[in-house]
Amino acid sequence: MSLTAQHWLKQLHALDLKKPIKIMNVCGGHERAITMAGLRGVLPTMIELIPGPGCPVCICPEEAIYAAIQLAIQEKLRVVAFGDMLRVPVNVGKQEIRSLEQAKAHGGKIYPIASPMEAVQIALQHPDETVIFFVAGFETTTAPVATLLAQGVPDNLLILLAARLTYPAVKMLLDTGEAKFNALIAPGHVATVMGSEEWQFVVTEHQMPVAVAGFTTESLLAAIYSVIRQQLENNIFLDNCYPQLVSTHGNPTAKKYLAETMQVVDATWRGIGKIANSGFVLKNSKLDVKSHFFDYSQEARKYAGTMPPGCECAQVVLGKIYPNQCPLYGAACTPRTPIGPCMVSDEGACRIWWSGGVRTGRFNFLR
Amino acid sequence: MCLGIPMQIVEIKDFNARCEAKGVERDVSLFMLQHEPVNVGDFVMVHVGYAIQKMSEADALSTWELFDEMLRAAESVDG
Ligand code: SF4
Repeated sequence: MSLTAQHWLKQLHALDLKKPIKIMNVCGGHERAITMAGLRGVLPTMIELIPGPGCPVCICPEEAIYAAIQLAIQEKLRVVAFGDMLRVPVNVGKQEIRSLEQAKAHGGKIYPIASPMEAVQIALQHPDETVIFFVAGFETTTAPVATLLAQGVPDNLLILLAARLTYPAVKMLLDTGEAKFNALIAPGHVATVMGSEEWQFVVTEHQMPVAVAGFTTESLLAAIYSVIRQQLENNIFLDNCYPQLVSTHGNPTAKKYLAETMQVVDATWRGIGKIANSGFVLKNSKLDVKSHFFDYSQEARKYAGTMPPGCECAQVVLGKIYPNQCPLYGAACTPRTPIGPCMVSDEGACRIWWSGGVRTGRFNFLR
Repeated sequence: MCLGIPMQIVEIKDFNARCEAKGVERDVSLFMLQHEPVNVGDFVMVHVGYAIQKMSEADALSTWELFDEMLRAAESVDG
């Protein structure tokens, strides 16, 4: 741990904390950095760090994944998706195809990609085929996709859009009184794109401390220190502990292309339901796969939209329980045999805790 | 998917750049940075192949250090 990190730790231990404070983060990158640095073990015990809605793969609608599978299998279309999406299971009978990975094994033309530009390359390589780009992600992924669309894409590339915004889930938790946290660490790269101002509502509407953090231990500790100080001194404001990249208004070009190509709408989150203004639809419906093919996401199915049976992912994502409070954690569910998306995705809290070495289950942390 | 990686620009052609991080080279789109001047040698934060913001060399280095630490930590636990 660097000198500055040790400095922040010292400062944190010097604080006169009389009651516990629960600080939620909303970014898989933050959760990974916190877990890998072992911050929970070195902070004063009064400070709880809660992983929250920071995994777009985890809340990607089950119906959208099902639709992507059907487009590959029934319509025999070429489907490209971010690699993380391939192993996420949908809720179908044991005999049916449960994931894009299984669809691929059954002859589906499915390709994992790491960048939206690869989707264009694949479409160009197969000019006489329709290529579907299945897009799940938060703003840091959606803005590049919007930029790609604004630049123009080949006619044979269609979009299956399941992109989501980050802040509306936090807003929903606060508005409904379901929030299990007293302070918030806002996501550094989402704020880089969208601007720190997106998080101002936490202060204005809910008088809750919030600080944008980067991904180094120093930046995270600085943000943790900031929100605690804000609370102790009863001086609540939106702090920016990642000024190296984050500005008030964000990246103007990215926001321009987002506004040009997509519209913000109410959208469903897997296992959670509809959240106001939390998703995107394409403004140009010609690019939308739904304008050209049957909308398989609407197909009536038992358990459509829910998490796999027994999986507590939705509760984990909303910061209501810790990963290892799920009865399946480390038992039926491990990265080798994942039951739910939170154990599949690199940004899922279950996966992160497992790779961080948490092997024991069910200690009751969220009081 | 959501991991941001700092990279250094080694070559620019229109809005496409060849970028490098720790010996690994990638094609990166600069289309999202049209509002500011970008030059060879600059450091940028890259998300899914797109530069989302310019950054200083010092910040790029501290983020790379963090990745090294995380990799070491990940390798030291099995599973
Ligand atoms: S441990 Fe597995 S089953 Fe439980 S919440 Fe996490 S992903 Fe779901």
